[in-house]
This record gives sequence, C-alpha cells and structure tokens, in this order.
Amino acid sequence: MTRLPEDLAGKLGAAAPSGIDYSSTVTQHGVTSAWCSLANSEELVPAAKVLLDLGARLSMISALLLPAPEEEEEGEDAAEKPAKEVPMTFGGTPLDGTSYEIDYHFDLGGDTLTLIAYVPSGGSIASLTPFFRTADWPEREIMEMYSISIPNHPNPSRLFIDPAIDAAVLERLIPYSVLVNAASTKALWDKVLAAKGGAS
Amino acid sequence: MTGSNSRTQTIPVGPLHVALEEPMYFRIDIDGETVRGVDINAGHVHRGIEYLTTKRSIYQNVVLTERICSLCSNSHPETFVMAAEQIAGIEIPERAAYLRVICAEIKRIASHLFNVGILAHLTGYETLFMHAMQVREIVQDVKETVFGNRMDLAALCIGGVRYDLDAETTAFLTASLDKVALEAATLAKTYRSNGTILRRTKGVGVLTRDDAVACGVVGPVARASGIQYDVRVAAPYAGYDRLCVPVPTLPDGDVWSRAMIRLTEVGYAIQLIRDCLRDLPEGPTHLNDRPDIPAGRAVAKCEAPRGELIYFLKTNGADEPERVKWRVPSFINWDALRFMLRNAKIADIAIVVNSIDPCVSCTER
Repeated sequence: MTRLPEDLAGKLGAAAPSGIDYSSTVTQHGVTSAWCSLANSEELVPAAKVLLDLGARLSMISALLLPAPEEEEEGEDAAEKPAKEVPMTFGGTPLDGTSYEIDYHFDLGGDTLTLIAYVPSGGSIASLTPFFRTADWPEREIMEMYSISIPNHPNPSRLFIDPAIDAAVLERLIPYSVLVNAASTKALWDKVLAAKGGAS
Repeated sequence: MTGSNSRTQTIPVGPLHVALEEPMYFRIDIDGETVRGVDINAGHVHRGIEYLTTKRSIYQNVVLTERICSLCSNSHPETFVMAAEQIAGIEIPERAAYLRVICAEIKRIASHLFNVGILAHLTGYETLFMHAMQVREIVQDVKETVFGNRMDLAALCIGGVRYDLDAETTAFLTASLDKVALEAATLAKTYRSNGTILRRTKGVGVLTRDDAVACGVVGPVARASGIQYDVRVAAPYAGYDRLCVPVPTLPDGDVWSRAMIRLTEVGYAIQLIRDCLRDLPEGPTHLNDRPDIPAGRAVAKCEAPRGELIYFLKTNGADEPERVKWRVPSFINWDALRFMLRNAKIADIAIVVNSIDPCVSCTER
C-alpha cells in the first residue's frame, strides 16, 4: 500500500502550474517509486515545499548529462534532407547532448518521489538547502562536477575537488579513467564465461 | 593558529590521524579544551567510481559496486541489482530472497562488532577492543567458509544470489551464530555496565531528535536519537517482508546509545538469520538466463549496516548504464557531527567521529 498521499500529483501540479509529468510504479513488496518531471525548473522550490509540508526527507540528488540523439549515418542524399530538429525534454529543454537532468529523490515513509528538473548547459537551478539540510553536500558536488550553478546555495565551497581545479570537472578535464579509456583487462571475464561454456 | 573568533584557536584533525581509519580533514575551532566549531573537508579518496560505472556493462557493475567499500560491500551490489531487477521486472526466486537476507545480516554483524570494537580502542580499553575483534573473527570465519571471502562476499547477482547453503555450511553457520550470540551478550553487558565505557560515552556527542531529523541522519545514528526508521521495515525488499524485523530506538542520542543500538542489532541480526534458516524454502537460487536490462529508471534502497543506502539507475537499453548514482549513509551522517561535536572536549573528538561509524571510501566514491 502506497504511503504517498492520494492527491500528491494534484498538489504538485498546483505548485508547478507550468506542468508536470507524473507516473509511479510499485514493487512486488508494495514499495512505491513516483516520478514527477517539472516543465519549468524554476518551479522546483514550490514543488519541494509541498513535499516539505508532507514531512518528506530529501534522500539524494542525482545529476546527469543527457545524451545527444544518435546521429543517422550520412548517405549520398544526406545533403538533400532537411536538418533534423533537436528533440526536447518535457518542458522544452533541448536534448542536444549539453543539457542536464537533475533528480531530487524524496523519501516519504519508505516510498520515494523523484522530482525531475531539466537545466541547459551553463544554466542554474535554485538551491533546496535552505529547506532541506541534506541538499547541502549533493548540491556542492553537482556544482563542481557539472556546468550548473546554484546561485543561492548558502555555502558554495568545494566538496571533494580542490578549489584550484576549474568547475565542471567532468567536462573540462580528462580524468585518468578517460585517459586509459576506463579500460581494464577482460581476460578474467572471458575465462569465467569460457568455464561456464558461454561465448568468450 | 587563531580561529575566526578571537577567543578561539583552530586545530587540524586529519586528514591522516591516528584515530581516523580513513582520511578526512576536520578544521576545529576550540576554546580551551572545548570545541566551538567544526568544518569538514573531504575529497582525499575521491576515485570517480560513478563515472566508471557508465563504462562497464550492467553485469560488470555488480562486481565494481562491491568494491566501493569493504565493511558494507554486500549492500552496494545488493541495492544495484535491486534497481536493475526493478527495471527489468525480474522477480527473484524465493530461496534467493532469504539467502540475500542471510548474507546482508552476516555483514551487519561483522560491521557493527568492528565499530563497537574501535570504540573500546579509542577509550583505551584494549582488552575489550580485542574481545570485540575476537568475536568478529568468528563472523569473518563464517564469511570465509560460506562465501570463500572474508570481506567481499560476491554473493549477489541480477536475478538472485551466487551462493547456496548445504547441510554442512548451515551447521557451521548455526554453530558460529550460537558462539557469537553468547559473546555479543557478554559484550553488551560490559558496554552497559563498565565505568570506563560509561564515563567516556554517556552524554557525549549528543544529537537530539530534532537535530537528527533536520540532518536527515539514517541508520543506527538516527535510531539512537529516537527516530524509528529502518529500510527493511519501511521499504521492504528481499525476504524482509516475511520476517519480523525489530527496530530498536534509544532517546538520548549520545555515543553510548549509538553503540548500544549496534550491539542490540547484532542480536537481532542473529535472530533474523536463524529465522531464515528455519524458513529457507527449497528451489533455485537464481534465474538461469542473464536477462537483458531494458531502457528504464529505478530507485532502490536497502538498510546497510550504517543505514539507508539508495541507488538511482538509469538505462537506455545499451549494455552500459546511462547513469548510476548512489548515496551512502555516511554521506548524510557527516553533517550531524557539527551538532555532536558542539561543546565537546578535544579528547572526545575521535570517539564522537567513530560513533557515526563513518566510511570515507563510501562517501567519496
């Protein structure tokens, strides 16, 4: 049985009048995961305040760089085709490989509601730290890893990365793991598969 | 060194410090012997494992996530495979659900005994430290005997578990649990009554319930401050919804309460394993094929020894995940040290820090 309020989608929709995309799933153990995409990332704070009033705990914030759409192979008549339109997220953030998705995972008595905001590269998003202490570290980590600013964060100092290193470290530096192509030998993996009679 | 307030001085603790198991830097403002402010500086073992997960296949990540941390190594792949199974709509066999509980609780016993052992070491009670570690060694032997490894059990796979119990290993496990139960009860009695332990831990590093709620702390730290929250009950997974999982709480929120919660949970974990062995159904331990994980997203959480561990997995149908993000209990519990260390004595800093059972490798990934 879900512990999310029955009218949660309605409350979030009222707090985010630009529009929400709400869905939910339930595991075999009866644990609910709900997802609420915001059409307008500026409506994050009013939506989060709805959850604050419900006693929600902000468990985690995930940020990810949304991948660009796959390019079609160029044929002889490629030049004759009109330029393909860049797909958009719900709410109209371009999916051109430079935009971000920020997921705010809230716990409500064991169930999870994830608020999803989309931010273009170099864009900004309001801080939730004034309302949820648990947003402090994740927001600082996001600022140092990605090209996202959180202007009203009360303590925008570095979390893990040294201040001498530029922000958006994942996009501006070549980490060692990239340098080595994040590769490791797959000899052991092949050996395991061979021993089990699978393809090597 | 003069601190921000002219009456205070600033001292460093860490990043390499005799009382810290892993590197973490605390910039502590003191007034005489009393702590007035704490600034935490992290990042010394930041390894970029989240990035690496997007360069490994979803199946290889079961192995990689087990190497994020050693003390709660089982919890990482456990939660990761739960997220993948949610996306793929996989239901694991009933026997596997119970076997997942058994390996998780074995790890919980070992982790909690390690923490209370270190507490004894930090109070200078070396005999008690060695006693706790000796009891933990019984659990280490269990891990080595049942799983073949003393830390990383390699017990989990998508669709079930990679180990099984036969009559011989079950008998060894049962006999070992009897020994641990006896010794853990003796340990708990000592922690409850010994003057040295009580003087160093009672009323020290207090986190009130209100502050605990504000910090969003999880696990034994939360339960020792009166918050009755345990993922195994609030958001059941594996076989926990078939079992009776008691959630102990204490009201005082001090170092002693956090140690006693862990010692109590050692006893409960032993009982949970016994219940699983009693009810363990016959049948397969995992799915026979290796199902493709389709495009999707999922949030999964489990009760690791230090508290709620949460994973977010997003897939796009490729072998590699689009994003894997996790938040370990220590990540959230560090913040509470600002409250626990307020007005603490310098001599108690190490004891208070240890009381949140911090894991830096987990925190920084």
